[in-house]
Formats: sequence, structure tokens, C-alpha cells
Amino acid sequence: MSAEIGLAAVGLAFLAALYAIFACVYGERTHRTRLVLSGRNAALLTFPLLLVAAGALWEALLNGDYQISYVWSVSNPQTPLFYRITALWGSQQGSLLFWALVMSGLSAVAIWLNWRSERRLMPYATAVMMATLAFFIGLVLFLENPFARYWVLPDMPAAQQVIQSVLIPANAITPDAGQLAATAKGLNPLLRHFGMIIHPPMLYLGFTGFVVPFAFALAALASGDLSPNWIKATRRWTLIAWLFLSLGLILGGRWAYDVLGWGGYWGWDPVENAAFLPWLVGTAFLHSVMIQQKRGMLKVWNMVLVLLTFSAVLFGTFATRSGVIESVHSFARSQIGFPMLTFWATLTLIGAGLLVWRWQRGELRDEHAFAGVLSRESLFVLNNVIFVALTLVIFWGSFGAPILSELVLGTEITLGKEYFMQVTPPLFLAMYLLMGIGPLSAWSATTVARLGNALFVPALLTALTVFAIAFTSPSTPVSLIGYGAAFLAGYVALWETYRGATARRAIRRESWSQSIMALFRRSPQRYGGYLVHLGITIIGIGVIGSTIFQLETRQTLRQGETVQVSADYHVRFDSMERGLAADGRQIDTATLSLLQNDTLVATINPRIDNFPGQAMTIAGAYSTLEKDVYVLLTGADETGQIATFKIYINPLVNLVWWGGMILILGTLLAAWPHEIVAERVRQSTSSAAKAAA
Amino acid sequence: MKKSVTSWIVRARYILPLLLILCMGTVYAQRSITQDEVNAVAERMYCPVCENIPLDDCGTVTCQAWKDEIHDQLAAGQSSDSIIADFVTRYGEQVVGIPQNPILRALSLVTPWILVGLALVIGVWTFRRWQMRSPEKDIPASVMASSDVYRSRIDQDVG
Repeated sequence: MSAEIGLAAVGLAFLAALYAIFACVYGERTHRTRLVLSGRNAALLTFPLLLVAAGALWEALLNGDYQISYVWSVSNPQTPLFYRITALWGSQQGSLLFWALVMSGLSAVAIWLNWRSERRLMPYATAVMMATLAFFIGLVLFLENPFARYWVLPDMPAAQQVIQSVLIPANAITPDAGQLAATAKGLNPLLRHFGMIIHPPMLYLGFTGFVVPFAFALAALASGDLSPNWIKATRRWTLIAWLFLSLGLILGGRWAYDVLGWGGYWGWDPVENAAFLPWLVGTAFLHSVMIQQKRGMLKVWNMVLVLLTFSAVLFGTFATRSGVIESVHSFARSQIGFPMLTFWATLTLIGAGLLVWRWQRGELRDEHAFAGVLSRESLFVLNNVIFVALTLVIFWGSFGAPILSELVLGTEITLGKEYFMQVTPPLFLAMYLLMGIGPLSAWSATTVARLGNALFVPALLTALTVFAIAFTSPSTPVSLIGYGAAFLAGYVALWETYRGATARRAIRRESWSQSIMALFRRSPQRYGGYLVHLGITIIGIGVIGSTIFQLETRQTLRQGETVQVSADYHVRFDSMERGLAADGRQIDTATLSLLQNDTLVATINPRIDNFPGQAMTIAGAYSTLEKDVYVLLTGADETGQIATFKIYINPLVNLVWWGGMILILGTLLAAWPHEIVAERVRQSTSSAAKAAA
Repeated sequence: MKKSVTSWIVRARYILPLLLILCMGTVYAQRSITQDEVNAVAERMYCPVCENIPLDDCGTVTCQAWKDEIHDQLAAGQSSDSIIADFVTRYGEQVVGIPQNPILRALSLVTPWILVGLALVIGVWTFRRWQMRSPEKDIPASVMASSDVYRSRIDQDVG
């Protein structure tokens, strides 16, 4: 029954989305308000319908309805409840449904919140959101249906008796439930991790969230309403999508660190890079949009960035789901490869076409002229150049060069970590320097002397910190330059907040905490932004420390044997335990003692989870703010007396996670709708006062 | 006799280095190679089976066989560059993080900087376009005193 309900709900959602596109566009063009409103309602209806569909699949997963092939492929009777819930996004079909659900939810919220304030843009924006949604629901319905079921055709030859079909084939009977349950595959072991509850939803919220700014931009281009309205409506949405994407990237890094067993959190893998590209372009937009808000400049460029951000989302989705990463030829074998490529190209071309059309008509002219090379505008443009350059070189390494080489030269190549470590550090260095200088520059124009004046204290603090690091910690010239740029950005953010708080304290006689809170309340974008810069500074310091100074050794040890892993630390292999878990995996757990000057500091337990056909190495770690001693058990003999370990010392790695949390906090503060909340509070207070009177 | 001694000395000039090389070869062949030395080579290579997984992190049977081969080649005195070149010759460019073929290498490493240059050109073009625009609607471009800028921002913060 779940399959029928889910299928019907997906079908109705598809029809509702198609109707919404027609009603919104046709109704707006012919000025039929009722038709436009019915289109809006149809768009809103897609969310509950997709919720029902997802609910039906969840019900099937929870009750073990293994006749549904998706349920059979991602769960089995031993799968715990927790992973049955997360199995909704555990494979292609379910995750596409979940993607559509998240997109419909965000679209519904955007329509509900902006319908009145952006009345002229909303019919077109709704149509764009629904067109994108209809495409993804179409994929779910026609190509990757999670409600397809197994059927037995008794009249067919034995090899062709069991088939998968969405509809009930003629003369088909239901397969034996017990046999289905006994053979069910279970969730991919890599996805059996706490982070997988939250990492995919965050990433999907980030990806799909960018549909809202994209829809508003396209609506502005289509309707000709190129006033700052679309910017006003989209900036907060961009920030929200950026927040979720950042969270998704950070959690993905943590999951890789915990589960993938290679001692790091970012491997420059094309799948990771596919998620990083929209983040980079989105970050460029969040900066350049301020120039349009403040000075009415960069109108074309902002349109380009919004269109490019969602285009990067669609391309990344295509790249990771179509198989193009494995080989340019494999995407053609994927069911969704061609449709996704076509949709991505079509939407990108429509956006580009509309933009060129409006540009040529002179409707996107800047309102202000350039004032000086050394101004906040010019530094923001330089910031955008850096972000776009990063996007281009990462795209080239992940997709451009491998695809071009295979297509044109017939040679498969891999551009790996070595490539990215050669081309990206200078650009990241420039990015950090601009993060330091940009906030101190003035709109319109400034001078070198004044900028130097403003930079004096942060630069002095940076120099002192770098000297301290050089004399107290292991360092190289490259690391010191990197630390310098990162610390400069952080000190500027702190210094600016300190100056603001000092001024408030002098005028208002407030305490430090009161003045800082007031700053965040009055200028959430600026001070939230400084907090984001601080978070990125801390991440940068963590990345430099854990990349340049990582120590790694691979050792085969007998029980009782000790190995030195750094000047301070020795590791002793104490014992090995073998056991069988309830879900059938065999677990080998090693116990190692971490010794510092012959004193026991910690016990570390790396393990191998042997699932049928797949082994997972789960790291054991001794974690402090300063460093992680991170141990992987990579193999053991049959007796468990001899085992091989990979032991890493990862300095400052935890700063990456702490910096990530600060970044999220800063983004939340910047995106928080203070004025809306304040207005609601004011309205409710005045109503209560009236009622009391 | 003298001639015979000289002839032996002349011969020894050729034989001794040869013996030395042979001895060194034996020493190299017997030198134990640590797993870290193997990993230092393996981390510059990629798994032939799994996409985009560095060889040192991969636990497949094929990768283990490759690591054993790297071990043997190191033990035989091969340098890490020559081992990698050998693998590239046999299995293709996709086994390394940056192609060894000069054309592919140049294509891979020069193009990003051309792209960076392109981004810079766009940035410069934007500046130029701003400079060329008529400032009819613009607020006069004056250099604000930093104290004024700061004061206006504080005013806004203080409210």
C-alpha cells in the first residue's frame, strides 16, 4: 500500500508543479489574478504531496516492506531504526525524492513569505522554482522511482522471472516476503554513521536553497523589474542556503575524518569539489551584492553570480549522480545523465540569454561611477576575482581537464591533491589578505595612508603572533606566511568589533557584553560577517597546521611492541579483540596505549568493521585542541598478535571544527530576521495593549 | 714484472669500481624498505580500481599488489620517480595526481593560471568600465576622511 500511496503522491506533485508553471506565467501575462493565485496554491501543494510520498517510503523502510526494491537495497531486518530513517537518502532514488521534498519545502516558504512584498516578481519566481522542482520530480517518477517493486512472473523462464516494476505486470505474483528479507542488502556501511543523519539534509538544504535566489534573478530578468527588489528578496535566502551548504561541507569533512579512514577531512575529491564550487560562487555573490545594495553597481555581475551559483549546483548534482566523474562515457549509461545535462544546459542558457538581452537594452546600467582604485568597491571586485579564480581552477582540476583530456586526447588523467596543492594556496592566501584589508577600506575611496593607519593595530598583532609562532612552534616560511594572512583577517574582525563596542561604551555607558550584543542587534550583517571571518580564520589556521605539519607513519607491531610516533609520543600495541555485532559485522578492535615520556596519556581503540564484501576502518583518536593522535587499524593476522597501524599526528585539526561552528554562528546572526522578529514583537505588544485597554 | 704490475693496476681501475657497484647493489638489494618509504611513493599515485583514491589509502587487493611492487622496486634500488614513471608507462596517466606526459602536464598546470589571468582581466575590465562611465548620476567621488567614515559607521552602530 505504501508504494501505491507514494507513487500517487509523487504523480500528483508532478502535475501540481506543471500546473503552477502554466498558471503563474499565463495568468501573469494575461493579468488573470485568480489564475496566478491558483498557480501559487498548486506550488504550495507540492510540499504536502511530496511529504506524503516521503512518508510512504519511510513507512515502508520502517516496516521492512522489502518488495519495494529501494527498501530491499538500503535496509535489511538487522538495520537499526535510526538507519532505517536515514536510509531515505541512502541511495539514488530515495535521495532524489528527498531532494525534491527539500526543494518544495523551501519553495513553499519562499512563496509564503514573499508573495505580498514581491508581488510583481513572485509569479515568475514561482514558475522557475516549480520548473526546477518538476524536473526533479520527473526524474523520480519516470527514471529513478523509489516505489518500484519486485514481481515474479511464473510464466517466464527462470532467469527472467523476477523483475522490478512500478506498475503491476500482467500475471505477476508477489515474491516470498521471507526470501526477500533474507536476501536484503542493508545500508551501505559507509553511510552507517551519526553524521549521515544530518550531513545530507544540510547539503540538500544548501543546494536547493540556491533555487530561491536563482528564481528571483530569473524572474527579475523575465519581468523587467530590475529594481533592487530582487536583491532585497534574495540576499537573506542566499545567506540561508550558504549557511546550510557550509554546514553540509563541515559535517562532510567530519564524516570523512571519522569514517573514510585516511587521516584527513578534505581529499580534493570531485564529489567534495562539486559541493565546494557553489559555495565559492555563492560567497562571491554575498560580497558583491553589498556593492549593489550600497552603490547600485555590479548589477550584471551579481546576476551572473546568482545564475552561476545555481548552475554550479545543477552541474555538481549532474556530475556526482551521473557517473561522469568515473568516466565521461559512464554518464551516458546512467539513466539520469542526459536529462540532467540537458536540464543544466537549458537553464543556464535561458539565464544567460535573458541576461544578455536585458544588458543590451541598457537596463542593467550601474548607477554610480568608479571613484578610486583603493576603495571598498574595488577590493570587493578583487575579492570576487579571487573567488571566481578559485572556482575556475577547482572546476578545471575536478572536471575540466579530466573530461577534456578523455574526450579530445583519449587519455584518462586524474588531477589529484598535488594539483590542488599547487594551484589553490596562492589564491587562498590572496583571499585571506583581502579578508583582512577589505573591511577597513571605505566606500567610494580611501588612501594608502588611511588604510595603513586602520591596519596598524591588526598588523602589529599579526606580526607579534607570527614571531611568537616562529620561536615557539615548528614552522616553515610557507606556514608563517599562511598564518600571517589568516591571523590578519581574524585580528581585523576582532579589532573592528572592539572599536565598535568601545564607541558604544563611551556613548551609552554600557558593559562590554551589552555593547557587543547591541552591535550584533543593530548591524547583524556587518558583525555577523566579522564572526564568519573569524571562523574562517580559525579554519585556515587549522588547515595550515594539519596540512603542513601532519606526521604519518605506518607500522606493523606485535602485541606489547612500542613505536615512537613523534618527539613526545610513543604508541604501544596492547591487545586485539574480535567480536560479532548484532547486524552481522565482524569487529576487530585494537587497544593501544599512548605514552608521553613513558606515562600513559590515553588508550586508543581503532577498529575494523568487516561487513560482507566491505571493510571499514574506524579511527581511534586522542583529541586535544592542540592536536589529534589519530590511529587506523589497517590489518591484522589471524591470531591478532600482529597488526598494522597507520598513525597520524594531526596538529590543530580541531580548529577546523571549532572554526566551522563559529562560522555557522556568525552566519546565523547575519541571516537572522531581526527586523521581522522585532516588528512581530512590536505588533503583538501593541495588540495586547489595545486588548488590555 | 713492472709492466705486469702496471697492467694489474690499470685493470684494477676498472675492476674495483665494478666490484664496488656490485657490493653496493647487494647492499641496496638487501636493504629493508620501511612501509613509510613505500607510502611516500604510493601517496603520489592513485588506485587503479577505485576512482580518486590515493594508493596509500586504498585497501583493495590490487592496491596491495601495487604497494608490494613498489616495495620490491625500492628494494631493487629504483628511485621513486622512476617507479612512478614505470607505473605510468604500464597503466596510463590516470595513476598519478599530475600527468607525466609533458603536453598533458602543461595542459593541466598552465590552464588554471590562464583562467586566473582571465578572471583578473575581467576584474580590470570592470574597473576600466567604471572609470569610463559618465558620473552624471554619481555622488561626487571624494576621498572621505577615515575618521568621517568611522564616525558614520559608529553612528549607525550606536543608533
